[in-house]
Amino acid sequence: MNLKLDPQLDDFRAEVRAFLRETLAEDVIRRSRIGMHPPNEDDRRWWNRTLYKKGWVAPAWPEAYGGTGWSPIQRHIFEMECRAAGAPELRWQGLRLIGPVIYTFGTPEQKARYLPPILKCEEFWGQGFSEPQAGSDLVSLRTSAVLDGDEYVINGQKLWTSECNFSNMGFFLCRTDPAVKPQAGISMFLFPLDTPGVTVRAFETINGDYANCEVFLDNVRVPKSAMLGAPGSGWDQAKFLLGNERTSSADIEKAHADLMRIRTIAATELKDGRPLLEDKGFRHQLTQLHLEVEALDWAVLRVLLEAPSNFPVAACASVLKVRGSTLQQKLSELAFSALGPRGLRLYTCAEGFAHTGDDPLWPLHTAGVTADLLYLRACTIFGGAMEVQKNIIAKVAFGL
Amino acid sequence: MDFALNDEQRMLVDAAARYVRDNCDLEQRRQTSRGDDGFSREHWRNFANLGWLALTLPERAGGLDWGVVELALLTEQLARGLVIEPVVDTSVLCGSLLASATSPHADSLLARIAGGELFAALAHIEGGGRCEFDTPLATTATAAGDGWRLEGTKHLVFGGHNAGLLVVGARLEGGELGLFAVAADSAGLSRTNYRLIDGSRAADVRLDGVSVPGDALLLRGQAARDALALAIDKSIIAGCGSALGAMETVMAMTADYLKTRVQYGKPLAQFQALQHRMAEMLVETEQARAMLCRALSLFDDPAQRPAAVSAAKVLISKAARWVTAQGIQLHGGIATTEEYAVGHHYKAMLAFEQRFGDSDWHLARCDTLIDRSPH
Repeated sequence: MNLKLDPQLDDFRAEVRAFLRETLAEDVIRRSRIGMHPPNEDDRRWWNRTLYKKGWVAPAWPEAYGGTGWSPIQRHIFEMECRAAGAPELRWQGLRLIGPVIYTFGTPEQKARYLPPILKCEEFWGQGFSEPQAGSDLVSLRTSAVLDGDEYVINGQKLWTSECNFSNMGFFLCRTDPAVKPQAGISMFLFPLDTPGVTVRAFETINGDYANCEVFLDNVRVPKSAMLGAPGSGWDQAKFLLGNERTSSADIEKAHADLMRIRTIAATELKDGRPLLEDKGFRHQLTQLHLEVEALDWAVLRVLLEAPSNFPVAACASVLKVRGSTLQQKLSELAFSALGPRGLRLYTCAEGFAHTGDDPLWPLHTAGVTADLLYLRACTIFGGAMEVQKNIIAKVAFGL
Repeated sequence: MDFALNDEQRMLVDAAARYVRDNCDLEQRRQTSRGDDGFSREHWRNFANLGWLALTLPERAGGLDWGVVELALLTEQLARGLVIEPVVDTSVLCGSLLASATSPHADSLLARIAGGELFAALAHIEGGGRCEFDTPLATTATAAGDGWRLEGTKHLVFGGHNAGLLVVGARLEGGELGLFAVAADSAGLSRTNYRLIDGSRAADVRLDGVSVPGDALLLRGQAARDALALAIDKSIIAGCGSALGAMETVMAMTADYLKTRVQYGKPLAQFQALQHRMAEMLVETEQARAMLCRALSLFDDPAQRPAAVSAAKVLISKAARWVTAQGIQLHGGIATTEEYAVGHHYKAMLAFEQRFGDSDWHLARCDTLIDRSPH
């Protein structure tokens, strides 16, 4: 057992830091750190193109498809450094979700067609999985795709298609065979959102912004080649998609950034005329959370480096998701309470991005905290609800 | 960085797991914990033969000079069998203090510890103190001829009921701390023994003009305080390893029980409330293991060690108390009986939380973490 990071990683970290320092402008950093949902669209597109030019846009992809060849721990360091430096959040649907599915299951034509535009920031993807009647119980999805000549005709409704209002491509799970067992009758389709019959409607979520959509599919005709892989392989592809980033659901980078944010708030906000950070009760609360973040950090390292365990890695990945999402909510709640009643002010995305903290009554750190808290109520729901994760753990780890 | 065990670590873990599986059953432990010694001398001889009492001791005194990683691996396995023998108090806590002393007398005592011939206990806490760090120090050591004369009362001397060697903290003239190696059969030394909830024992020790030779003074002043902090941090790491062993054992026992116990016409394993509780127990246990890895990684850096050890103790003892308590809850009444191991694991975790400074104390010691930049 060697529990020290390889010293060569220090050089790597320094290289990443230097790049971030010379590349990220102050305004970009400010808008990223405010942390609105959705993030600033122009900033994230700029960041995607910038990283593409640098060759760092898709570290997790195999080198043959545009990856960096970095080790898991290098990728982890890269993510941590980007977040700490205040880099914009990349759009994840293409780079993290469907990209790996395409290079794993797609035909050579599909790979050539779809992968480069993701890397180059030319196409943006929305994920059409959930439906009004199929949330956690995804396998009960009803959107149908029926073969008619050389085309599939798709009908149904998708929900929770995050950021589809900023996207021009979509990947959709549809039922192609209602006669077989539910898992075996699902296929994945890739098609442009301007295909006739597709209607995207963004709706307001409790954080006061529009980052989520419902998508209506009304006699949408797509060619056979829009199907990814063989008919009926969609369920396996979806499971691969949800499972292939075992550690990212912990969002450990954000947890560290949130600790910094809370510290900044507490160093400025006063309680009885003294900085909140000097209050013993507050320090204890913050320290407790800090310990949980440190533990999660090492739990992520253990999964990344495939540490021996008495429990299967699928259980450990769900453990990261359960703890990571819970911790995100706790951190946002502490940030909110540190802010006091000023946290009640509603900042929309537009107001948040424009907020420079020039008014002494409303310093920089007052924006974004509450929107984050509200948005994060969803983080124990999306990507497999907390309760589903616990079902998985009980089954996989203990055979219950 | 690599979390896989090397060959030597693998052998250590396998040997300890095998020993516990073959030799440490609860009924025998209950018997010996009620006997005169409170533990098994046969186990102790075997531990010595297996090298476990020499594990972290320096080579010059017959030790193996292994680190805290191996220590935690060993105690994790021993805890699975609720081993009650005073490995930590004797070999880790007092062993570390004697090793810091680097004197011929201390080395000869270490050799006897490594060989399993000597039990040792730290006699430092006094009435009014909650732990070794905050204890008042009213016990005095006065120079007397070539030696010293000790006067005072020590409280909560864990494992001190039959230890042959007591490492006694006393105030020297001028007020600085002195740590003394005191033979328990010294004239003027008397003990009041009592049982603890985890089956182990402790003593209050009265030093009524106890005379010790000059070389009994092992360490003094800052060196004594540093050595004490190091020895305690090492012992806490040992306790963290034990906590992991307790949590995993309790989870395994509980999962088995849920599969066999039938209520309302079906196995308890089919009740989602209980499945989710088990999942939460694993979440806590995995975080605890991660936190132990973090502490082990930072242990050899003196600037980071205290906060890292405290952070681990706070997080792990909270997790361990909760997980073992849930083990009792999910079993139901059976786990509240003395014949069932789960309750013993819970008691061991209560003891872990209270020893070497409780969670409040350690939370305060690591709250400087939040003032530091994360990188």
